[in-house]
Amino acid sequence: MNTRNLLVGPFNRVEGDLEIRLEVEEGKVTSAYANSPMYRGFEPMMLGKAPIDALTITPRICGICSISQSSAAAAALGSAAGLAPAPQGALVAAIMHGIENVCDHLTHFNLFFCADFARPAYAGRDWHDRAVTRFTAMEGSAVRSCIEARAQLLHIVGLLGGKWPHTLAIQPGGVTRAPTVRDRIRMSSTLAAFRRYLETVLFGAPVEAFAALSTAEAITGWSRGDAGLFMEIASDLRLSETGQGPGRYLSFGAYPLPEGRSFGPGVWENGTLSPMDTDRIREDLSHAWMLGDDAHPRQGQTTPDEDMRDPAYSWCKAPRMAGQTMETGAFARQVVDGHPAALDLAVDGSNVLARVAGRLLEVARTQMMMEEWVAQIRPEASFMDDVPVPREGQGEGLVEAARGSLGHWIRIEAGKIASYQIIAPTTWNFSPRDAHGTPGPVEAALVGAEVGAEEDTPLSVQHIVRSFDPCMVCTVH
Amino acid sequence: MPLTGVTLARRELALADIETFYDVMRSQGITRRSFMKYCSLTASALGLGPAFVPQIAHAMETKPRTPVIWVHGLECTCCSESFIRSAHPLAKDVVLSMISLDYDDTLMAAAGHAAEAAMMETIEKYKGQYILAVEGNPPLNEDGMFCISGGKPFVEKLKMAAKDAKAVISWGACASYGCVQAAKPNPTQATPVHKVITDKPIIKVPGCPPIAEVMTGVITYMLTFDRMPELDRQGRPAMFYGQRIHDKCYRRPHFDAGQFVEEWDDDGARKGYCLYKMGCKGPTTYNACSTIRWNEGVSFPIQSGHGCIGCSEDGFWDQGTFYDRVTDLTQFGVEANADQIGFAAAGVVGAGVAAHAAVSALKSAQNKAQKKPTPTNEEA
Repeated sequence: MNTRNLLVGPFNRVEGDLEIRLEVEEGKVTSAYANSPMYRGFEPMMLGKAPIDALTITPRICGICSISQSSAAAAALGSAAGLAPAPQGALVAAIMHGIENVCDHLTHFNLFFCADFARPAYAGRDWHDRAVTRFTAMEGSAVRSCIEARAQLLHIVGLLGGKWPHTLAIQPGGVTRAPTVRDRIRMSSTLAAFRRYLETVLFGAPVEAFAALSTAEAITGWSRGDAGLFMEIASDLRLSETGQGPGRYLSFGAYPLPEGRSFGPGVWENGTLSPMDTDRIREDLSHAWMLGDDAHPRQGQTTPDEDMRDPAYSWCKAPRMAGQTMETGAFARQVVDGHPAALDLAVDGSNVLARVAGRLLEVARTQMMMEEWVAQIRPEASFMDDVPVPREGQGEGLVEAARGSLGHWIRIEAGKIASYQIIAPTTWNFSPRDAHGTPGPVEAALVGAEVGAEEDTPLSVQHIVRSFDPCMVCTVH
Repeated sequence: MPLTGVTLARRELALADIETFYDVMRSQGITRRSFMKYCSLTASALGLGPAFVPQIAHAMETKPRTPVIWVHGLECTCCSESFIRSAHPLAKDVVLSMISLDYDDTLMAAAGHAAEAAMMETIEKYKGQYILAVEGNPPLNEDGMFCISGGKPFVEKLKMAAKDAKAVISWGACASYGCVQAAKPNPTQATPVHKVITDKPIIKVPGCPPIAEVMTGVITYMLTFDRMPELDRQGRPAMFYGQRIHDKCYRRPHFDAGQFVEEWDDDGARKGYCLYKMGCKGPTTYNACSTIRWNEGVSFPIQSGHGCIGCSEDGFWDQGTFYDRVTDLTQFGVEANADQIGFAAAGVVGAGVAAHAAVSALKSAQNKAQKKPTPTNEEA
């Protein structure tokens, strides 16, 4: 029997630190163990602090999805107060959040994910020269134009939020800045410029055309722009056959606006969409270096096991919905929202290609939504309602970060934070095993991945891991 | 920039096989015209004036580029995020290609063991010549096990990478001071870089994150003049941290006139009144936000209607709530000291510009830094 163990990591081109242990037999992964090796202790350090300080501290969990963290903290405080933000404030917060999510998808596609196709191991493939030109890490032409386009788009967050990363403007009652008519015009023109980038570089066609694709075949057959180059590569490398997800998709729903969430919430499995019931969440600690009992995040605690005892192998807790693993992220969000092409792709389950396709779909759809949101801004309206944080109470803040469902749970006693728990998207996707020994989604997705006899850092593993766009600094916080 | 004969000879011997900045830029397809534009942009960003443009250009044409190793400890990558969005598109391109980030675990191509090997190779090849840029900090609790990189505690990687570095840049509040992960009770004992690396010149570039142009400005200065910029008493480059946010805040007239925002989105907020009563820490914070601003000069937190939280100051995370007025700060007395620091720093910048043809300027900067009294905040 040709058996070996591999330790893959540290992973570069993912956000934060990650190490994966693989057991390989006959050239295929038979089991995988995902270790999140960085712990900072944000949850314990929130205890005893003023509740509103969550708005400043929790975004610093992550410099890439800080608006997501900030929105979740504001939503948790608002939920504790039982009040909603001013409608126009929610609109501005949605614009900022949408921009961050789109930027994250672009970073993932251009900087983190596609760079692997430029590797020498793929030399000789029809597409390799083009992949090298476009996607070589730090040097490819797509990398540079992406960085430039993102920076321009983030002007809007600069304008509305003062700075990015670590924007401070989002509050439980709305946002601190009331945009002027001039700001609105400026945002429209920035969005128009960004649309040009998407349409000339990424999609090679109007965003509406890409967003309107309604079948898996139409998506995988897309031939224009960098999206087309990816689909060509994906088809050649059969990326739709690797990295199978659990087939259960979780989304809290993105962009809470007075008329509802723009991408709807729910749990999708086998063609059935169930409403979101966060009471069914438990965090399992059996394989995490954490002490305490399994608990709902309202009762959860974060006490690291400094002895790092077996069988635990990660700082990451294992969240489960009704006892089951869940995949979350752009593809899950598009499936839950019922986009026809995503639903069609989901017939074969999630995989490396589907996850990237989900992001591309979402970039196109979000661009269209953001243009509408900007047009709806009414400078004369109120952008912040008074939302006093109660001295006693508890709240739940649910948002969708680029990488999936993000929840903050806060309990306030005597005006101070008595409990603060966070479940981040990658906590779901990169969770370790639970008490039943069920592997987390990425661990399961890696089983069956091909490993060449000479490979120490198998390419298939790189593709699968990066297809989830892990954010390890959010995972364990 | 004229280097002394001795310095130049040493560098030529050691770095003969490394291309110059200008070579690197040329290979990136950057035109002569753009290159000269970049040089003048750099001169003005550094506050040096047009007379320095030819010197910067000359230095870049003749000097080998400086290798940079960029490592990440306990952090959130906000510094990298900020860095890749520097103002002038050319500046960003040039700086990115110029420093060539020989090792950067967030952006680089290699993975896993190959990546670790790349770092070792850079260290070996450029012994004593590379700059180590540190984002984040090492947690020391439990033998450093809260941040494991490549199977080893990050603190070991940091020490190893620092051993042969010419100088260390501490990016951001994490590396400089500890930042939020060091908030009470500091569960992992997150420790700033200068407490762990004590035998190298360290330049602190605090902020959460630092402004992109400050980051590229610092690095360009070091590459161009082969030395550290003048530092204030806390080890920050005085050219960017020499003044308070308050000193150059566009809302300052409202402070002086006693016109304040009393609550979110009130009439005063719409009129752009001063945010002091909403907890703004601008009066005690040294940074360039109110001059350089953020996201390519678009805005900064105060302009978005939210007070400054003082993220470039030591201990900003443990001063009571961020929405308390500055009078509630336990160290309000810092204001007197802060003004003195400001004066000292302004003096040093002028002196530094005049004197930088000296021997190994990097070394002299190091000596100066060592002679300076300990930072006031640590006394507090």
